[in-house]
This record gives sequence, C-alpha cells and structure tokens, in this order.
Amino acid sequence: MKTSFLAVGVLAAATVAMPAQADKLDDIIASGTLRCAVVLDFPPMGSRDADNNPIGFDVDYCNDLAAALGVTAEIVETTFPERIPSLMSGRVDVAVASTSDTLERAKTVGFTIPYYSFENAVVANEKVEMATWEDMKGKTVGATAGTYEAIWLEGKVKEWGEGEFRPYQTQADVFLALSQGQLDATVATVEVSEANVKSGNFPGIKIVDKAPMVPDYVALITLREEYGLINYMNLFINQQVRTGRYAELYKKWVGEGEPANLTIPGVYR
Amino acid sequence: MFDTALTRSDLIFLAQGAGMTLIVTAISVFFGTILGIVFGVIRYQIGPWWAAPLTFVLDIFRSIPLLIQLVLANAFVTTVLGLRISGFTVACGVLSFYTAAYCAEIVRGGIEAVPQTLRRAARSLGLTWGQDMTSIVLPLATRVALPSWIGLALGVMKDSALVYIVQVVELLKSTQILITRLQEPLFLLMICGLFYFLISFPIARFGGYLEKRWSND
Repeated sequence: MKTSFLAVGVLAAATVAMPAQADKLDDIIASGTLRCAVVLDFPPMGSRDADNNPIGFDVDYCNDLAAALGVTAEIVETTFPERIPSLMSGRVDVAVASTSDTLERAKTVGFTIPYYSFENAVVANEKVEMATWEDMKGKTVGATAGTYEAIWLEGKVKEWGEGEFRPYQTQADVFLALSQGQLDATVATVEVSEANVKSGNFPGIKIVDKAPMVPDYVALITLREEYGLINYMNLFINQQVRTGRYAELYKKWVGEGEPANLTIPGVYR
Repeated sequence: MFDTALTRSDLIFLAQGAGMTLIVTAISVFFGTILGIVFGVIRYQIGPWWAAPLTFVLDIFRSIPLLIQLVLANAFVTTVLGLRISGFTVACGVLSFYTAAYCAEIVRGGIEAVPQTLRRAARSLGLTWGQDMTSIVLPLATRVALPSWIGLALGVMKDSALVYIVQVVELLKSTQILITRLQEPLFLLMICGLFYFLISFPIARFGGYLEKRWSND
C-alpha cells in the first residue's frame, strides 16, 4: 500500500510540476552554455583557421548571442542537411547556419527575422566603363550555366535586345574569362565576388554594383514552439544592426561596402 | 614532387584525435569488460530461461547499429531526461554497453569451454563456488576467450569512430575536419589509417604474445 501511495504522490507532483516547466531560453541560461549549429565548410560564414578552430561570420554571431545571454558558446559543427535534424534531436539549441527562411522549413522549425542576406553583385573588367548594373546593357556578359544568376542575366539580355550572354561550366571559368577580357561583366553572390577580388587570382576585375535580384534571406532557427527564445533572438538581431555590430562583422568577413539590407520594402517583418 | 598544406600543428591536431580515440576505447573496453564478465557469469549461472530478459537487452545492444544507439541515447539523455551531460560521457556509456553485450557472449563461451568434469572434480575436493570460479574457471576460460576479446577491443576501437555524432572529435572526425580545410582527402585518409594502425598493431601483437606465453604451460 505504501508503495502505491508513494507512486500516486510522485505522479501528482509530476502533474502539478508540468505547467511550471522552464522553456528553452531558461534552460540555456541555467545551463550556462549555448550550443549553436554552424556549417564550417561555407566561408566566409563558417570555416576553420590554421589551428582548426571554427571562424567566420556565423561563429562570431553565435558568440555574440551567447555573450548577450551571459553564457558561453559551444560551436557544434553541422552540415547543411543536418541542421534541422540536429535541432530536433536536441544536439543543439539554435542553428546559426545561413538557413534560408523557406515556408516549407517553417513547418518544422521556428525562424527568427533575417540576420543576413545573400545578395548578388555585378563584377566587371576594370577596362570596361561601368557605374551601375544597368550599364551591362549591350555588353558581353556571362555566368555559370543553370544558376539563378545565369537565368536572371540571360533574361535581362533578352529583354534589352542587345549584347551577348555566354554560359560557363564553373564559377572559376567565369572569373577567368572576365579577368582575361573575354567577358565585360558577370553577376555572382557578393561573398564569392569579394573573395575572388581579394584573392588576387583574377587580376583586373572590380565590383561595380549590386544586382537588383531578390536576395536570399537567411535566419536563425530553433524549435518551432520556443517562442520565448525566438522573441529574444529577434530582438538580438535588431540590436546587432542597431549597434553597428552587423556592419562590423560584414566588414570583417565579407568585405568593404554596404551590408545587405535586412528589411523587405513594402511589408512587415 | 610531393606537396601538401599539412602543417605540424595539423599533425598534432590529428594526434589529439588519436588520443581521444584511445581514451574512449580504453574507458569503454574497461567498463564493458567488467560489465560483460558480470553479465556473462549471470547468464551462465542462472540458465537460459531466467536469463532471457538479460539476453534480450544484450541482444538489443548487439543488433542495433551503434550510430543509431548513440543518436537515440544522446536524444534521450538531453531532451527526455533534460540532462546536460557531455557527448563524451554519452559516447563512453553507449560504447561500454555495446562492448559489454559482446563481451558477455565471449565470457559465457569461455566458461562453457571449461570441462564440466573438471569443475565437478574441483567441487568434490571441497572448493567453494567462488574458489572454483577464480582458481579453475578463470585461468582456463581466459585462455579460450583472449583471442576473441582482443578482436573485440580492436573492433570497438574502430567502431569508436562513430562517436563523432555526439560531438566527440576523435581521429576520424579530426581527419574530416582537415579534409574540409585542406582538400587533400586521399593523403589525409592515408595518415588517418596509419594512426589507426599505430594504435591497433601493438594491441594485436600484445594479444598474440599473451596467447603464445599462456599456451606453453
């Protein structure tokens, strides 16, 4: 009898204790560590330095978030397909992993507001006179065949009715052709363009302007039901931009120039 | 002629990974063997009927892939129990039970290999069960079980490569990290294989040495 009384007591205590359960935000603060999933083969967002320590925009962003929460950050290396499973299986608290905020993914995980956006830049040969992206009109342009940029660029050439579009097999081929003067201009993501200009492997190229394509907005993700944490992270992203830390990180990891605008004109959130 | 971006600090990084592999293996084999002996003796002693629940649990550990065991155990501990314990602890725990499940079979086989008549003779001479187990069964069964046990230890060492899934950076994971950075997969995998060989070979040779020494008398 005594045992059954005890069992009932424990059960009752458990039922009463349920609603007062702490959410993930409390758990993170209580445990003193924030576990972030970061993709480390995706420079400049995530990679490793010569001592094999994680570095990159996402790594710094996770460290900032941990500092804001007053806890220490733990970088958990993930691959792109493993980001959501690692969240669901409780291996990480949040993913700071350049996750595009698709509606399909939002059925499974909770997105914050965008913390970064991948924009496309127009890169031209230095000998070609160009000031804005519209100066590509009538020029010989090219891009990696089949990519989003290539489809957009080919469409523009058709729309203008002058100039020429050339498809290439790889991104490196495009930049080589640009550097040698076979191409006047190309369109590539800002990150790739900055890295190629910086690397010095392709002399004689310059970034002209940003291309007016819909940017790829990426957000932080956590479990769908963790509203407290999502709310906190939304404010955190806002503060990062407000305090200039976002621009600072952009300058550190991507390059000079204006960091991508994180607001979408004409709509809330 | 041959050029590589691998630096001295990268080699130290790999050696640290190898050290982690050794530590995880040592802990798992140590606890796994103790548990395995306990389970093996229990299974032999109480007979197949009463040992059925234990056999069933051990069979679970033997038949579910280690990778799945690690993921499930980690998820259970962190999300269901809500404990924040390190991946290292989870890895050692799961690997210990995994080792124990195999070791129990080896121990049982070793005990069964000791002739019944010999054990009856020992008991007839007035030895207690404990004396029989330690003085008669232990020396004879160890000789029978040793080769399989060495095989098990080497197997666990190579299986420990899977603990990367719970964020333990062991030899194979550190190799993968270097492959991502340096883009020299074949060369790095060769070095990784060499490290594994350097760890396994002495264990295998030591096992062979013991076997030879014990079989003389």
